[in-house]
Amino acid sequence: MDKEKIASRTLVIFVVLLLGMIAVPSATSLPTGVAGVKDSGCNCHGAVSSDSVSPTLEGLPETYNYSEVYTLNIGFTGGPSDPSNINQGGFNLWVSDGIISTSDASVQSWNPNEVSHTDAGNDQTTWTVEWTAPSNDRNVEFILHTNSVNGNAGSSDSGASDDEWNKLSIQISSPIVVLEQANPYTVLTTLIIVSFVLLLLVLTFIFYQNNPETFDWENFSSWVAGWLTTTDHKRIGTLYFIAGLFFLGIGGIMAILIRIQLMVPGNDFLTQDQYNQFFTLHGTTMIFLAAMPLINGFANWMVPLQIGAPDLALPRINALSFWLQPVAAILIFTGVFSGTGADVGWTGYAPYIVSETAHVGTTMWVAGQILLVASSTLTGINFLTTIAVMRAPGMGWMQMPLFTWSILVANLMLFLSIPAFGIGLIQVYLDRVIGTAFYDAASGGDPLLWSHLFWYFGHPEVYVVIVPAFGVISEVIATSARRSVFGYRSMVYAMAGIGVVSFIVYGHHMFTSGMDPTLRFVTMLTTMLVAVPTGIKIFNWLMTMNGGSLVYRTHTLWALGFLVTFTLGGISGMFFPSMAMDLHFHESYFVVAHFHYVLVGGTVFGFFSAIYYWFPKMSGRMLDERLGVLHFLTAFITYNGIFWPMHRLGVWGMARRHHTYFVSVDEVRGVNGEIISEAVIGALPPEAAGWNMFITVCAVLFFLSNFLMVANMIISLVRGQKAPADPWGGWSFEWMTESPPPTPSFGRFENGEWHDLPTLIDSNEHIANEPSKLGTWFNKLMVADKEEVEN
Amino acid sequence: MAHYTIMGRDPYWMNFFGLMILTLIEVAAVGFDLSPDATGLDYTEKKLTLMILVAIGLPKFIMIAAIFMHLWGDEDSKILTLTALFPAFFIIVMILFIGLTHPEATTGLPEWCRPGFYS
Amino acid sequence: MSEHDEHHHPSAWGPHDWSHGAPHNSWAPLIMSIGFGIFLFMLANAFTRGVFDVSYVPLVFVGLLVVLCGLIIWWKQDYSFDGTYEPRATGAPFKNIQIRKVAIWVFLMSEMMVFTSLFSTYIRYRTGIENCQTIFERGDWVAQGYTLEAGHAVICFEPASHLIASSWWHIAPGAINTFALIISSFTIVQALRYASKPVGEIDENVRRKKVTRYLASTWALAILFLSLKMIEWFIGFYIPEIEILGIHEHHIHSLYSEGYLINAEHYHHHDWVDEATGATMLANISVGASTFYVTTGTHGVHVFGGIIGLTYMTFKAWTGGYTPKNAVSIEYFGLYWHFVDLVWVLVFPFFYLY
Repeated sequence: MDKEKIASRTLVIFVVLLLGMIAVPSATSLPTGVAGVKDSGCNCHGAVSSDSVSPTLEGLPETYNYSEVYTLNIGFTGGPSDPSNINQGGFNLWVSDGIISTSDASVQSWNPNEVSHTDAGNDQTTWTVEWTAPSNDRNVEFILHTNSVNGNAGSSDSGASDDEWNKLSIQISSPIVVLEQANPYTVLTTLIIVSFVLLLLVLTFIFYQNNPETFDWENFSSWVAGWLTTTDHKRIGTLYFIAGLFFLGIGGIMAILIRIQLMVPGNDFLTQDQYNQFFTLHGTTMIFLAAMPLINGFANWMVPLQIGAPDLALPRINALSFWLQPVAAILIFTGVFSGTGADVGWTGYAPYIVSETAHVGTTMWVAGQILLVASSTLTGINFLTTIAVMRAPGMGWMQMPLFTWSILVANLMLFLSIPAFGIGLIQVYLDRVIGTAFYDAASGGDPLLWSHLFWYFGHPEVYVVIVPAFGVISEVIATSARRSVFGYRSMVYAMAGIGVVSFIVYGHHMFTSGMDPTLRFVTMLTTMLVAVPTGIKIFNWLMTMNGGSLVYRTHTLWALGFLVTFTLGGISGMFFPSMAMDLHFHESYFVVAHFHYVLVGGTVFGFFSAIYYWFPKMSGRMLDERLGVLHFLTAFITYNGIFWPMHRLGVWGMARRHHTYFVSVDEVRGVNGEIISEAVIGALPPEAAGWNMFITVCAVLFFLSNFLMVANMIISLVRGQKAPADPWGGWSFEWMTESPPPTPSFGRFENGEWHDLPTLIDSNEHIANEPSKLGTWFNKLMVADKEEVEN
Repeated sequence: MAHYTIMGRDPYWMNFFGLMILTLIEVAAVGFDLSPDATGLDYTEKKLTLMILVAIGLPKFIMIAAIFMHLWGDEDSKILTLTALFPAFFIIVMILFIGLTHPEATTGLPEWCRPGFYS
Repeated sequence: MSEHDEHHHPSAWGPHDWSHGAPHNSWAPLIMSIGFGIFLFMLANAFTRGVFDVSYVPLVFVGLLVVLCGLIIWWKQDYSFDGTYEPRATGAPFKNIQIRKVAIWVFLMSEMMVFTSLFSTYIRYRTGIENCQTIFERGDWVAQGYTLEAGHAVICFEPASHLIASSWWHIAPGAINTFALIISSFTIVQALRYASKPVGEIDENVRRKKVTRYLASTWALAILFLSLKMIEWFIGFYIPEIEILGIHEHHIHSLYSEGYLINAEHYHHHDWVDEATGATMLANISVGASTFYVTTGTHGVHVFGGIIGLTYMTFKAWTGGYTPKNAVSIEYFGLYWHFVDLVWVLVFPFFYLY
């Protein structure tokens, strides 16, 4: 035991050091540097910082005027510089706002904010540049480094030794005094680090609460090691769950920062470049790091319980699937804190994604996604195998709960479609890393290939995230209505139909790309077709409630909310199959409204419902109903306030993925009929500004309201009411075990065999025990006639 | 393990021999100059070679899958074959949609449907 | 914890007592994930658009080493597996088939999609970009100025078969590879056959030796496959003068030395000389080359993965770890290996010969 303890402690330290080593290089990429780098200054020339050098910067006013051009004189005195030497000095001037332009050959420009000397300009101690002040109010900072050169050029280290440099920093203010401009990266970093620390504290607190007397390192480290090495489906489910909720919060933070930027027209909180990174990370985080883990969390927890299996088919691979996700998250977030994060959109379109202009973090984004592809493939294999082979005796395919069916269909879609994405990612990764030419237009590479590969996966992917929500809603509505779901068989066929048809509709994401016209036509028709099975499901849920008697618990409210918002989202989606309408709506806020209605109003609300439904089973504690209803009311109302107006904004033509927008000012004519001010071409009507502000306010309220749920969960874990095995009156297998269930969940393994597995004797379908014609035929044809084999 | 025989001998040995022979034919088809035969049949040599390669490749594929991977002759073969063939639909979709479309397709559209047409 | 562990706590580092079922705890998944992350991160830092930064290369290997450590922990837990825990499916339609066999087939379904994506890319590019030889034979490239002298390259698709199928010697490595894979498919079946012979029908020492030899041969053939591939791609080989067979000495150039590279923007084949003017056609063949290397490379990576698995299995066989009770483990690997062979059956004609 001691050896293990030492080994586990060493491993933890090693891992922390390794992560630190990885993180450190990216810490130096801010232009102003993180503390410590700022002072490195001109040490690239091998120079040493010295106070004998005095940089000077003349020509700056105390307060600038908007857009005025100032001539600045840069110089220095002191240091070893001497007019008789070949080289006398160098400098680097950086400014936070405005544009510096060069006026002669002695100065070169790195970018509009930063200039330094050229080789020709090495032979002087004064230089002249021009600075154009910004057109708005900013606190401007100039940072000047001057290097006093020793002049011994021609020596082995090219005149680098014995130079001395110093730094000068000047702030000037704007005509209207403003507060310090918020740096979005600082805000984001702070919030993420604070959230993560809070998460760790909460987990430690929960550990402490369980056993206040034995709160010491040995117990803690073995508790942590137990969680890091677990292969138990329930624990892995919990891990997925925590990770998913954490990243839901992070994605929400990014959304809030985006909404702050869009609050008013022409805002400059985020530049276009920063905005690109934010919406990329928001989309990627929400889909791959929040929605998928939440789904996997519930799948891991509930599927083995619902089919009466002791665990998943491949437990260690299940653990591998999970652990690939945090590692992938670290890769995906590389560069975000330093401004070089991926800026390609979650769809990562070619050829931009392989261009040099796309940020360095894009390569890491691609690498992280590759790991997520591996994780999803392994998950798909695991669940498919488990559901196919480990159902309890008596549970045929048509006796499985609908949540399990939904996970089966979702995983089938996922692992068949994700290799296409994986190959596309590998092609992009290799293009960016070793220089292959898959998407290099100059060599004949075809950007549409990426679109095809991505959307071949991307469309089934969005069904992967919604179909489990369908499963949850079926469970919740059935239990709340106190009857079985109406039309079980049609529900199954509808989900299977969605699963298959989802592969042949993906062209509707590419109608404006110039893709093959025949394919456009085909996918237009198939997209219209795929709405039919979903409609069937909605009508079945309505009929379930009609024939039952609803009990209004929080999970019921969320399910009802889902029905409203998902239906609205589905209807708004039906405008896109028509190519003519798609041409107008593509890349507008109408799309944003549609997919947020189905993703948030569908997936997220479905999983909020699942949380309130299954939390007692998973944790053994009941959630507080009043907090739950309060959460529902505030979240549901503010959510609609966010996304409903976006439909109108989209119709007006507000473009998505643009960092700002402009509203038109009505034409104002003077006394003689001349136009004094005019509408801005391409602008939105003036009401758009008001609606954007309204949306932002609702977004902040929605974000905050979800903390009610988090608080509810924490309070319940600490001192909630103990939950019975079946608090809601459900009748699938998970309600037949204790809350929380033991390990292994069912049965025991002894002498090489499983004993005491549950048997399904009764179910609600009156036709349950008669296999259908299809089932009988299939069994006759495909299943071997075998007696039971002992081993 | 297989419970049947091929031509009276161990099925795995026979499968192995068969595959080797087919591969030899494949390599020969590419290595030898088939232009006289091609012109006789009114194909290009390349097309003839391709047809031979496909004609050889398909039996090789089936032989490995059926005999080495136990998809034939075993009591579990039926369901495992169905499992193996399940992705066929998705493979066909991918090849049709991704492999057999190309961006030049829009040049086949009528003039009035192309950018820059102003009547 | 749970009831059945009261007298034995299986270690998360391995080895594992399989009479208790599958491992409840394992350090392997976490360590392997971290390893893969480090590997991809360092690889991206070591190369940027083909520009090489050698200082990161050791760290790439650190990543792979971490993955290997994780894998060794996994194997430590698997090593004691003797077949006591091999659950079978309940219920239709996989009735009584081992669960892990079903899992392998499901895995192979996803692998089919991987190679379909690669083939789709190849088909798309091959049918979408004009073939270089066609452009050469058409002849108007001279007038258009796509010549070596002018330095102006025409974009076209040059299949690797143009170089590889140009002579018997050039096809030889590919052909030998095909034979190697077929033989290795056969040896893995033989390994399974001997491992699953019932107790008493064969002497245990003979079983151990035969299984080890067949697994080791499969391993060796896989290594041969990758070696020949490297020779074909990068090294080339030399044929000495053999008078009696009428073979004169010459050097078979590797693809690399012929200029068939992933970033070959200025490529010319030695046949592309216009008789009339003496001009040489210059072509940008990066797309075709990239497709070739990545598709055959992905197949090669799968062979490499098989080699890793075979290393463990050969070791386990050598220590007598395979008995009729757990011989089916070899069958699982065999299914993967036959699939790799199947993919080669498709890759070889379409990429090397056509």
